[in-house]
Parts: sequence; structure tokens; C-alpha cells
Amino acid sequence: MAVGVKIENVTKVFPPKVVALKNINIEIKPSEFFVILGPSGSGKTTLLRIIAGLDVPTKGRVVIGDRVVVDADKGVFVEPRDRNIGMVFQNWALYPHMTAYDNIAFPLKIKKLPKEEIDRRVKEVAEALGISDLLDRKPAHMSGGQQQRVAVARALVKQPDILLLDEPFSNLDARIRVTAREFVREIQKKLGITTILVTHDQADAFAVGDRVMVLRNGVMQQLGTPDELYGAPVNVFVANFIGDPPMNIFQLKTIHPIIDSLKIKEYIPPNNEFVYIGIRPDEAIAIKDLENAHLKGKVVILKYLGSRKYAKVKVTDDISIRVLVEDEDIKEDSEVGIYIRKLHLFGSDGKRIDTIRF
Amino acid sequence: MSRSLKSFHGGLLGTPLKWIIVNVIAWIIGVLWITPFIGIFMTSIRPFSEVVNGWWNLSPFTPTLKNYIDALFNPMFSLLRGFLNSFIIVIPSTLIPVMLAALAAYAFARFSFPIKNYLFITILFLMAVPQQMTIIPIFFMLNNMHLLNTYQGLILIHSSWGIPWIIFFLRNFFSMLPVELEEAARVDGATNRQIFFKIVLPISLPGIISAAVLQFAWVWNDFFFALMLIFDPDKMVITQMLPRLKGQYQVDWGLLSAGSVLAMIVPLLVYATFNKYYMGGFRGWAMKK
Repeated sequence: MAVGVKIENVTKVFPPKVVALKNINIEIKPSEFFVILGPSGSGKTTLLRIIAGLDVPTKGRVVIGDRVVVDADKGVFVEPRDRNIGMVFQNWALYPHMTAYDNIAFPLKIKKLPKEEIDRRVKEVAEALGISDLLDRKPAHMSGGQQQRVAVARALVKQPDILLLDEPFSNLDARIRVTAREFVREIQKKLGITTILVTHDQADAFAVGDRVMVLRNGVMQQLGTPDELYGAPVNVFVANFIGDPPMNIFQLKTIHPIIDSLKIKEYIPPNNEFVYIGIRPDEAIAIKDLENAHLKGKVVILKYLGSRKYAKVKVTDDISIRVLVEDEDIKEDSEVGIYIRKLHLFGSDGKRIDTIRF
Repeated sequence: MSRSLKSFHGGLLGTPLKWIIVNVIAWIIGVLWITPFIGIFMTSIRPFSEVVNGWWNLSPFTPTLKNYIDALFNPMFSLLRGFLNSFIIVIPSTLIPVMLAALAAYAFARFSFPIKNYLFITILFLMAVPQQMTIIPIFFMLNNMHLLNTYQGLILIHSSWGIPWIIFFLRNFFSMLPVELEEAARVDGATNRQIFFKIVLPISLPGIISAAVLQFAWVWNDFFFALMLIFDPDKMVITQMLPRLKGQYQVDWGLLSAGSVLAMIVPLLVYATFNKYYMGGFRGWAMKK
């Protein structure tokens, strides 16, 4: 039966005074695929290691299922080996002196299960992950994708309550990443195992996560579904961090002419001297019709990003906006209008005021 | 030929000129290194009369094993007995300190415990203590323990002498291992003991074997401790037997050379056998994290 994870008031300080995590509170539901997303140094791996028991929090507690596995205030600490977790490390950490079979069998051999059962379960999980033909190979003779599958198999073979994944895709080529994400997601769905994944890559997070938590400098910024994070970022950091190509964000004085031409003055609370305006490249489009456009400018660069074409449009001397291009007549140096479908407005403190649709 | 051409283009050595210089230097060192050995070997396999004017005079050249047979089965000071005694000393004196030091080194590399750093610094200091400084206390200690002039006494001293440097050597080796492997094993359910024996030890084999080979050669070649602590001719090790082959009134170079070759062949064979691991151990050692 799948179990949930509760993280309560977890703070981690690395002596002398590096604060890696500040008062984190989250509740991960049973069978959920939960993603911790943040740039390097945000504390995301530390949080995962605290759940695994490889690090101990300075304050707070972690509950897996209905068992307190660590409580800094009461001095409770359950060893990683007694937490029934499976973990996949960033570099997969396969034992180099063992074959894939022995790697996968290791957690079961440690438990001293009977030989026949070990054999049956290793073959079962290998079958499920499509690595049956790799079992007698050593890690050095496997590709990155294959090593990852073996690492996942080793994590799953003991039927853990929770699966922890630390940047499992970051060592894979871009092309294999896509299939690897699908593979991990499918396995997770099939087994219904509560899974926590750590990544710095928002594409990873959005590809697999039911819910995503954004972490920055040890502070939780936002927690929500990918749609919520993409559609209503709570602050400029999240807005900037999520989305590819990245959101166009400008700091504008409240009296700036662009504010007038966008007709958004009424949304801005009176005490803001300046605001941040965020426009996703996919939520604005370059058009030839200058009359109905919100902004006008000249195309500086035109290029493909992924499967879509974007133009960098120079609106004023110091403001350029990247927007979507669908009209094939638009070339570099064309005068174009920009039609904005959606605009994110942030106050001078960087916090979200509203999302405006046109 | 094809191999030398290959290295000619190799990025490691760079330009052809550099390649030539490096090779010349390597050859000079190699020849200087091996010449004395060839001399001893040539002396050992020929009658004494042939080598009085220098071993490099090759005519006449009559190879013979007489020197070896004389050295091994001399009724006065049998080298065979020395051989046997050396093995009796060297095998436990290698295995015991390597096993004990490996455990201690892992603790120093991975665990935190009180006074760890002071303890480690003490070990570093112990490595710098000269043998001659310790020999008198050691002598009296062994005497009190009734271990003077016994195999056990010498084994005890060699083992203790080996432990500090092997701890130092292996601690550094263990510290370089990727810690994720041990963490993965912890999550997989292993205890510290299981992690050490099932993960750390097997992947540290090059380091362990390097330490063992060095300790083996060191104990085999030791003369000083054996000289001070063993005086029964029946228990003498090979390095003690060798000088006795010299003869009372005139030096029998053939006999002495044969004895030397026999004595050095063992560490050479050990180096050759474990060459792969040994080099691997040092490569790993030289690499940064």
C-alpha cells in the first residue's frame, strides 16, 4: 500500500552558518509523483537526503507513512536501511565490481532472502524494465540509459514504500532523456509508488510531476501542479525559472508609456512605484496588423527554438521581447505588432499581483 | 614498430622531438637501473674463475647452476632455511597489518569520532620515527614478553611498524572513493560492516594490494629488525643469511651473487604478479577527486 510523506518545519544548517533549508513544510500524498525543483544550491538535494536519512535536519521532523523517521527535537533517527526506501543517485552509483544482476540482487542479499526468491524478483523487475539481456554485464559495459534502468531496478526490487530520484536524467543525452522520463513516469504509474524526484531542469519536472515544489536558497517559493506553476507563478523568480523559452520580464515605472498602451494601470495597487511585467513568448504573437497590436517594434532576430519559431522584437531602445511567430511573411527587420494574450503582473516586491488576459 | 609510431602521434607526448627526448631519458634510466642486476646475474651463473676480470668478458662463457646449489644447500648456512624463515615472517607480517590498518583507515576516512584528527596526526608522527630510536625499547619489551629470538616477536614488530603507514596510505585511498556508492549501499539496507566488506573492500583492491606489495617487499628486505631480534641461526631470515655467504677469508662472489639473486627474486615476482593492481593503485592514488 502506498504511503505518504510529511515534512514538518524542516530546517538544515550546515555549520558554521550556511542555511540550506528554511522551515520546509510539505505533505506528499500516497502514490504521488512529487518533484522538488530548484537551481543549484537551492537545498533540493539536501531535502531529498534528509528524507533518505543520509542527512539529519537541524530542526523539524519527517514522517513516512505513519512512522516518524527523524525528529530533530526529540532525537529520533531511523537509519536509512530501516526506512524501506529505494533511491537512484545522480550518477546512479552502481557497484562497479558487480554485474547488473548482482547490483539488483544486492538489497535482497542483504536481507538474506532465499536464493530462489532473489532470483525470481531480480528477473521479474529486470523483465519489467526491459533489461533482462543486460543482467550479466558490468556497469562499465553499459550505456547511460541502461545504467539508469539498472539503478531504477535496484531501487525498486525490494518493493520500497518510497522511491527517491536525485537528478536521474541529468547525465543522459537530450534524446534519451525524453524516453527516460516517459519510462520513469510509466513505471511510477504502474506501481503506484510514492516518488520524489529532485531536479534543476523544469522540463524534467513538468514531464513527470503531479505536483512540483520550487525551492530557492532553501526557501519554498511555490507548490502546485505544473499548470498552476506555469499559469500563475507566485513571484518573479518562479516566473523566470519556469518556462522554456524563458518569460520576458521587465521592470517598468508605473508611469511608463508601455503601461498606458497596455491599459493595465487599473490593476496596479497604488503603493507600487514600479512593477514587473512578465510575458511568456508562447503567450504573445508577432502580427503584421499594427492597428490591433498592444506593442509595436522591429524584428531583430528570427529563429527556431524547439519546434516553434520565435522573433526577438525591439520595442524600445532598452526593451526587447521574444514572441511567437506564425506568419511566414514576417522576416528579420520587419516592422511588426505584438498581440499579447496573457500578461503576468508583479509588484515592486516581486510578488504576483494578477494575471491579465486580453 | 607500429606501437612506437602510434605514440609518435599521441597527444600525451606531443611533438616528435619531445618523444625522442623522453625515450632517450627513459632508456638511460632503464639501463642504469638494470646494469647492476645483469652483473650480479652473470656472476652468479658462471664459475668464479671466469668473472675475476669482470662479468662483461664473455669468453669463455660456461653457464652453471653450481653457485645456486651451493648457496641453497650449504650445510653451514643454508639459504633454503633462510628462505623458509623469511616466508614464515613475511606472510603474517603482511596480512595482519594490512587487515588491521584497512579497518582503521576506513574509520579515519569516513566516520567522525572524538579526537580523530589528533589520533591521525599522531599516526603521521609515528611514521617519522627512525627504527634505530625504537630498537632498544623494543628489545627490552620483547625480552620481557619472552618473544625475543622468536618468529612471533619479529612478526609482531613488523606488523606494528607497518600499521601507521598503511593506515595513512589506505585512508587516502578510501577518501577518494565516490561516497555515493556507500550511501547507495546504506539505502539498500547494508550495515557499516556489510558496506565495508561487500562494497569498499572489493573496489579498493588495487589500493589494498599496493599496500600489501610494499609491506611485503619492506619486510622481506628488512635486515635491521631481524639482526637485532633473531640470533638463532636456524631462525635467521634470508637477509641475515646473505652476508654469511661472504666467506671468512676471501669473498666468494659467485656464491654471494647467487644468494642475492635468490633473495631478490621473491619481491620481484610479487611485484610482477600484482603489477596490474599495483600500478592501478598508484594511478588512483595520484588522481585527484
